Amino acid sequence: MAELPAALEDLIQELSRLPGVGPRTAQRLAFHVLRADRARAEALARAILEVKSRIGYCERCWNIAEEPLCTICRSPRRDPSVICVVESPLDLLAIERTGEYQGLYHVLNGVFSPIEGVGPEDLHVPDLLERARSGVREVILATDADVEGETTAVYIGRALAPLGVAVTRPAHGLPVGGSLEYADERTLARALSARQAF
Amino acid sequence: MRLVSLELRNYRNYARLNLEPATGLNVLLGPNGQGKTNLLESVALLALSSSPRARRESELVGPLGPEARVGALVEGRGRLAEIRIWVRIEAGVTRRRIEVDGLPRRAVDLPGLFRVTLFWPEDLNLIKAGPEHRRRLLNQLLVQVRPGYARALARYGRVLEQRNSLLKRVANGEQPADALDVWDLQLARTGVELVAGRREVMQALAPEAARFHSQISGGEALEVAYEGPPEELLQALHQSRSDDLRRGATGVGPHRDDLSVRLDGADARSFASQGQQRTTVISLKLAEAAVVTALTGERPVLLLDDVLSELDATRRSALLEHLADPGQVIVTSVEADPFPARVIGRSRVWQVRQGRLLPCG
Ligand SMILES: Nc1ncnc2c1ncn2[C@@H]1O[C@H](COP(=O)(O)OP(=O)(O)OP(=O)(O)O)[C@@H](O)[C@H]1O
Ligand SMILES: [Mg+2]
Ligand SMILES: [Zn+2]
Repeated sequence: MAELPAALEDLIQELSRLPGVGPRTAQRLAFHVLRADRARAEALARAILEVKSRIGYCERCWNIAEEPLCTICRSPRRDPSVICVVESPLDLLAIERTGEYQGLYHVLNGVFSPIEGVGPEDLHVPDLLERARSGVREVILATDADVEGETTAVYIGRALAPLGVAVTRPAHGLPVGGSLEYADERTLARALSARQAF
Repeated sequence: MRLVSLELRNYRNYARLNLEPATGLNVLLGPNGQGKTNLLESVALLALSSSPRARRESELVGPLGPEARVGALVEGRGRLAEIRIWVRIEAGVTRRRIEVDGLPRRAVDLPGLFRVTLFWPEDLNLIKAGPEHRRRLLNQLLVQVRPGYARALARYGRVLEQRNSLLKRVANGEQPADALDVWDLQLARTGVELVAGRREVMQALAPEAARFHSQISGGEALEVAYEGPPEELLQALHQSRSDDLRRGATGVGPHRDDLSVRLDGADARSFASQGQQRTTVISLKLAEAAVVTALTGERPVLLLDDVLSELDATRRSALLEHLADPGQVIVTSVEADPFPARVIGRSRVWQVRQGRLLPCG
């Protein structure tokens, strides 16, 4: 059987490492890049490099950031006494879009999932506990309602219990087993304002 | 509950079938390997979202293309609903898509819309084989009558998978032992939901099964009892933790549940004859239908595959008496002989030949 040139094989290899991309899709994408204008291909390569060199994580909340602190942590208008715990920067964005929330965040960048080898340390839970010790009156656990999201919330809720801060969870209105990222803005806004003690 | 019409496309050995079964008794006759069981399986799929028979969903797809389709118009509580299920094989991956009245529906949310009680010869495993078969009896019943049970079951399975994975990571020092606490808690919480449903349903099922069995067998005493986990599940999980760590698997919980089945005081698996075991399973299934009827106010559609073989004449006619209850039944048989003429007389009868149904009589 004829083999593909090594450079093309490499590209297919790298693409198939992306989440949700199988070998077939990786091939299709690679050939698409091959056929594209040189300028388009370079723009793609540059965008990938830029993302890696310019964007990192916020030192305080683990949101994505272009500086040591993210735009939310830098804003003087945010209320530092409330922390909303979310699974990902996309969930954070979903909550920001509701325009209802004025506090700060803690972005887990994952959920407690032994199958994937993710434990509490990987989620920077110790950092969150440290933050919750000083001047925080409420922590909102806005992880998804699926098994891992729920278990992560229970874990963090138990870790926070001795600190005496209020722990709440936006339960109402979120579809059971559902993902926060996909909830529409109004549902999410209602779920946030009707949050319950957890 | 009623199957108004059924449509199969490229489903197992059915290239194309459109069927409008009668509201009462339907009899499918045909030699081995013609498609009798396949047809019942497709109807069960509409009720349960997945085939209780196929090991892999790709098995359902026939030779005419990458996709099989099962569609049906069903009626429950005087309301019609249209269910469609597609199973598609693409690049070696099998995907299932479900629609109800034209809107997408998740597989966990389908059961309960259209209800069936299914008996087929493999159900003899209820007596002969491992506890997973007896748990399946409970699950198939509960997903159809308890909203939320299918989801709870899926959640429980996922929590269990995570806990078992964590047990191995704790055992080899990757994670601290106290990381298990929260998974124990979740397992206990979801577990008690399952146990509550199973207990409740078994309280209703056990006396019904005994009644049917006694009537069909002419007096044998059938006792079925639920064998669930300890009442204090969370505590039991803590107690079994060190064993669990050694095994790398969770030793207590509803995933270990079983039913004890005794006939005239003796364990049915070891002592009951072939025909007695068959009667026991049929009684359990008729009891299942009776419980669903009591809980929902409507009898499920009975799907009975090869139900009369191995039964003596007395047991046959006693069983057929029960099928006379108003309600839809689809029953298969290799030949018409076992059916008394008066039963055939008030049934709609089809011949099944190589994936085609020919009306007869
Ligand atoms: N995916 C498939 N595509 C085509 N044919 C299939 C497929 N799956 C099963 N079959 C065929 O369907 C037939 C079996 O049908 P089924 O099990 O319904 O028979 P039956 O009428 O119940 O027979 P029996 O009386 O022996 O139980 C077999 O001949 C098998 O080859
Ligand atoms: Mg068969
Ligand atoms: Zn920040």
